[in-house]
Amino acid sequence: MELSTLYILFGDLTQTRRAKALKNILAGRRTVSNLYWALEYDLLPYFGALRDFKLGDEKNALDRLAHLGLIVLTDRFSFQLTNQGRDQQVNLLKLLPPIKKLTIAAQNDVVRFSSRFIFATQIVSEYSYSNKRYYPQTIGFFDDQLIKRWFIQNKQRQLPNYFQELLDRFLTQLHDDLLAEIFIQSLTGHHFSGETEDQLSAKMGVPPTIIQLQWLMLYADLLTRVQQIPTSPLKLLLVGLARSPMANSTNKTLIMYRNTDYTPEQIASRRRIKLTTVYEHLLEAAIVLPVNQFPFSRLLAEPTKQALESHQPSIIGEWAFKEAKAAIPDLSFFEFRLFQVLDKKRKNDD
Amino acid sequence: MIDLEEQLHRYSDFKSFRPGQKAVLTQLLNHHDTLAVLPTGGGKTLLYQLYGAITKQRVIIVSPLISLMQDQVSRLQYLGSKRVIAITSAMAFEERVAILAHLNQYQFIYVSPEMLANATVLAAISRQETGLLVVDEAHCISEWGPDFRPDYLKLRTIRKQLGNPLILMMTATATKATRTDILVKMGFSPENVEQVIMPTNRANIFLSAKICLNQKEKNQVLVDLVSQLNGAGIIYFSSKSQAEQMAATLTQQTGKRVMAYHGGMANQRRFRIQQQFMNDAIEIVCATSAFGMGIDKANVRYVIHYHLPANIQSYVQEIGRCGRDGHQSLAILLYEPNDQYLQLNLMAATIPENQLLAHLYQHPNQLSQNDAFRVIKYYYDNGKSFEQATQIFNQAKLRRQRELNTMIRYIYTTGCRRKLLLQYFDETIHDLNPDLCCDFHTDFWGHWQSFNQQYLMQTQSVEKKPLNDWRAILDRLFLLKN
Ligand SMILES: [Zn+2]
Repeated sequence: MELSTLYILFGDLTQTRRAKALKNILAGRRTVSNLYWALEYDLLPYFGALRDFKLGDEKNALDRLAHLGLIVLTDRFSFQLTNQGRDQQVNLLKLLPPIKKLTIAAQNDVVRFSSRFIFATQIVSEYSYSNKRYYPQTIGFFDDQLIKRWFIQNKQRQLPNYFQELLDRFLTQLHDDLLAEIFIQSLTGHHFSGETEDQLSAKMGVPPTIIQLQWLMLYADLLTRVQQIPTSPLKLLLVGLARSPMANSTNKTLIMYRNTDYTPEQIASRRRIKLTTVYEHLLEAAIVLPVNQFPFSRLLAEPTKQALESHQPSIIGEWAFKEAKAAIPDLSFFEFRLFQVLDKKRKNDD
Repeated sequence: MIDLEEQLHRYSDFKSFRPGQKAVLTQLLNHHDTLAVLPTGGGKTLLYQLYGAITKQRVIIVSPLISLMQDQVSRLQYLGSKRVIAITSAMAFEERVAILAHLNQYQFIYVSPEMLANATVLAAISRQETGLLVVDEAHCISEWGPDFRPDYLKLRTIRKQLGNPLILMMTATATKATRTDILVKMGFSPENVEQVIMPTNRANIFLSAKICLNQKEKNQVLVDLVSQLNGAGIIYFSSKSQAEQMAATLTQQTGKRVMAYHGGMANQRRFRIQQQFMNDAIEIVCATSAFGMGIDKANVRYVIHYHLPANIQSYVQEIGRCGRDGHQSLAILLYEPNDQYLQLNLMAATIPENQLLAHLYQHPNQLSQNDAFRVIKYYYDNGKSFEQATQIFNQAKLRRQRELNTMIRYIYTTGCRRKLLLQYFDETIHDLNPDLCCDFHTDFWGHWQSFNQQYLMQTQSVEKKPLNDWRAILDRLFLLKN
């Protein structure tokens, strides 16, 4: 995908955003720093939504956008949208389904679902024409096995009719013939090969990245719809798509901390990991979980919290640790970050 | 005796055998080890597919082209065999483990020579009964060939470990010397192996070449040709970026539907473009020579080389992709004097510099770190000294230069191109039709438009008129029975 298009879509008119962090957020590079910026930019629900795509180089994208007057660079790698950039954002958003749909792709492997669905459509389409001689798609050994099993189990259930009705209902409910056309061109079947994103882009006069986003969001939408039909013959195609919001190791640290009265030091030695890693795990959990599910008060002593509250500037996201440390000498970076997270999350809840 | 025609109709949709197929099958069914030289498009896949179907035995296919292997699996599935799998280094470890645990479910197993050299893989395969071992691209065993793969040399021992199954060695083009080399390296004496050799000559492909002044003129000639030539075409380039760029230019300037097609693309995209080409939804693909197509499209009318290939064998293989339906087709090679330097550069990249060779000989532990070093590793492991290895590679360089010179001679020849080409494979022809042979006998370049009109058929499109209405597309996607 073109990173420049994504910067317009996820840039902001008033908040300065770091280009690298923004890219890492969409690509789902799970570090405390990236997660923290995602929280700060209100993009946490989008974390990793575009992890299956190549996103290109930040520098080129920024240079291009600055040259076009769509962004201003506040330093070499941070930017804000200009009014013109904001207009462009509004125009691009008009081409897409509601952007919130992208959060489904952060929670589920939508790309994998789409390749399963496209392959299943090909099989059912050829089957409806009683054609056994065709080139099947290649989607990896495990999914290939899954789809074979699915087809054998469901062959009797009038799959051609089911697919036809499902797609007809889904596309009609979009109330947008252009989007429906773009979706249908993602499929292949009997004597039908669909189109690539650049072919559609040329035909529709929109950037290829927008076509890819449209596909992703439409398949996200389709996925949720199919999930809601408990008797759907497509059930088997939905296995193993959910993505956990936290890394496995993070979860282990958190469970140990919640279920015992161990200190972070004790957890580090029990789990044979570094103390800094324990702190990273706890911060990751603090960012990802709702406020009431994370033991903030146990990790952030009341006096420290009060001290931080009394010194905090109005925009806490721009508060540097060095300044805070000067005011509160025995403050640790962990406590400082945790406070920032807590403050941001409380404001979001209001 | 088995009625082969009957078996053909039973297990495939083909009406009749292509030349050489029946001879090879007869040898195999009589349990004779066989070396088959069949031109591209000669239906190599059908041979072992049919053998497997008739004898109900397991077939192991050794193939060096990992990028093509998945396509070969699809092709075999297309031809009606469903229990097919490929084992390559490109697949995830968990996938490979799962496949090896269920190997008995598969009748056709594709495997790369490198994978077969892996002890776990070989052990898993040896546990199964193998009825036929197919060695595809068998010329890769030949040390002085351009496609030399050291792992092919292990096939002789591997075959023993598999219980000496019947063997079919296949190659599209091999000179007599290469054929002998294949047999010797596989441990056969020539009298114990049946050889089925089909002519390289493809009478329905007209041969032509044009020497342009410079790249600008070459581009113009290409645009003119593509605008006017009838039917589907493949244009070969030596780099992905050139293929991409030219696909864009041709789309813009010819009004034809053109797409780039190469190994750097994601699976789904590759599949879709392949489908579009098969369904005649696009007319022309700009491909890289390093990357063939797994599909067998019968009605490709012309192949144009925008860059010359490295040698005559590659050229013959690549032009072999047109005219598989037997109708008149056209091969064009476009050349401008700078092209040879491009090819020389590519060649230099495949043969290690002395400096690199010296470095690797001093740090042999680095030899296994890069697949590109496998030939050097082979010589090192076989006790060749640095001086000997240097000499071997210098000779390889000279050999490739000679091959490139032969290719350039083909371009500049003032005689019959077909004779020159076939001479290389120790073949002669007797009954050539000068009107449909090559641009030596006729003023092709003065009259290529009328050649096109007269001989090259338009495509009869399978994919009906493109629809823009999603409802109409959806209606056609599934044939509903009420
Ligand atoms: Zn001639």
